[in-house]
Amino acid sequence: MTALLTLYVLIWPVIVLGVLAVIVRAFVKEWRQAKREGRSII
Amino acid sequence: MDQLQQLSGPIVVTLMLLFFGGSLYMSIRISRKRENADGYMTGGGKIGFGISAASMTATWIWASSMYASATSGFTYGISGPIHYGLWGALMILLIYPFGRRIRQVAPRAHTIAEVMFARHGRSSQLMLAGSNVLGSVISLTSNLIAGGALIDMLSPFTFTQGIIAIAAGVLLYTLWSGFRASVLTDFAQVVAMLGAVVIIIPVVFFAAGGPSLFETGAHNLTPQQQDFFSSDAFFNQGAPYIAAVLAYAIGNQTIAQRLFAVREDLIKKTFVTATVGYGATIIGVGMLGVLALYAGIQPLNDDVNNLIPQLAANYLPPVLLCVFFVMIIGSLSSTADADLTALASIMMADIYGQNIAGKKRANPQTMIWVGRITMIIATAAGLFFASSQFNILDLLVFVGALWGALVFPVISSFYWNRVTNLAFTAAVIAGLACFLPVRFEWIDLSGGIGIASDVLATIGIGVVLGLMAFGFFGRLVALVVGTVATLAAAPFAIGFLHTYPVLSGSLVAYAASTIVCVVLTMANTTRRFDFALIKERTGDFDTRDGGADASAGLAGPPGAAGASSLDDRLELANDGKDRA
Repeated sequence: MTALLTLYVLIWPVIVLGVLAVIVRAFVKEWRQAKREGRSII
Repeated sequence: MDQLQQLSGPIVVTLMLLFFGGSLYMSIRISRKRENADGYMTGGGKIGFGISAASMTATWIWASSMYASATSGFTYGISGPIHYGLWGALMILLIYPFGRRIRQVAPRAHTIAEVMFARHGRSSQLMLAGSNVLGSVISLTSNLIAGGALIDMLSPFTFTQGIIAIAAGVLLYTLWSGFRASVLTDFAQVVAMLGAVVIIIPVVFFAAGGPSLFETGAHNLTPQQQDFFSSDAFFNQGAPYIAAVLAYAIGNQTIAQRLFAVREDLIKKTFVTATVGYGATIIGVGMLGVLALYAGIQPLNDDVNNLIPQLAANYLPPVLLCVFFVMIIGSLSSTADADLTALASIMMADIYGQNIAGKKRANPQTMIWVGRITMIIATAAGLFFASSQFNILDLLVFVGALWGALVFPVISSFYWNRVTNLAFTAAVIAGLACFLPVRFEWIDLSGGIGIASDVLATIGIGVVLGLMAFGFFGRLVALVVGTVATLAAAPFAIGFLHTYPVLSGSLVAYAASTIVCVVLTMANTTRRFDFALIKERTGDFDTRDGGADASAGLAGPPGAAGASSLDDRLELANDGKDRA
């Protein structure tokens, strides 16, 4: 039970890290593409 | 524990300068001498996945949701954060199928209220716009209060100094470029926030005792708090929140604005990512409340809103306390700037653009200044309400109910061509009329009236679940789910639900508005609305160079040349004369 509860608490930061990686990767890709095309990212 | 670890004045000033100075720098980098009115409201409707996913996530993670999730964990135990964060995340996910439909019929709109104007006319539009103005001012006030309280607790500065600094900082970087500045800074803010969550939760967990805490502190929890399937948590936290989920998803302009801003083919990807990001962040922060419960910590001054800052001050070293500070400031700033831009777009598009000047005569430059002045007035109002300790809870409940009553009429208006302005308006009024006496217990709910309330609330269960199913699986599945859910819940719910007025209030609002909307719509046997008209009636206000996307003309009205005839047709719409 202790192990399960530990996993239950610590799984969320891991998922958050995954989402953060997805967002940052996409942003960098869009930023580079905008720079290449000489336009603002937004 | 009476005295918490604090950050020194110079450190707080430095953090604030770095945070708001960095946001201002980003805003200046993308600013234009002459901003485009449509860009000011929705960024031109072609924002990429990275920024839009970051913005959706950042906007929905507000300081109050972090505090509320931790409170839920502290109050209801291990299932508490799930009953807050999971349903809150579902809120984002639920709008995406509806969002795709909304973008399909109104690809260049700026607000849902604007679309309702094109669909039904002025009364429907003003109901949505009014509820959004109230909702955004409340949200802004709430964020300022959370920031002021944090600064008051963790620094030598006062609450008033805190709210003024935050309000000024947010206004400064949002004012000139509006929505474009809001979404771009959201990216930096989400990196700061999510990065902080990744670090802070494990650090607090191990500092509080690690896995052994679950053994040594188990006696601090009641059996309900230890139960992952706690009925207490479900009926008091989860169920009312599920009912609120749809209402907030449909009614809130900050979501709608991002829906109109993201590139149409990226809607699903954006909303799914934001769902996971929001859910994991908020549930994760809620775990701090669970840890506090296991550790036997009592909230400072018996105020559960103090729990998170208290844990941070207790267990985090000074450097991480700075990270925590930035996390909270980031969460409230990203939502506050979204509220400001939501208010600005409503005043620009719905009030000035369509009701004062008229779409044909609206001057884009004037529109932008309407937006900027709105932001200044809204910030002043938020500061006034925050500093005068104005009780915004009842107002928030009222807005939530209004949104609840709006859900079925709004959704059906996008799919059902028989819904009329009368059906829409009468349904919302009926929903509100049923909500108020039940939610605030103005009438005695024991006896026959209680049973009647329960019957309506049970139908409300079917409506909520049916609408959720409708978004993903279509009408047939929705009808089956709604009917089965109502019949299955009836034996348990009737005679019981009225003992939970918060839940019952929301459900009767859904049921009454749905019943009235369906009955009045079925009574309309002659008029049919042509959804293609919405695309023509909504669209860019600003067709000057350097503004809207070059593809705008493909999706929206080509410009002033076609506006005259469109406005003529809008006049007809205002009279409630849908195309037969």
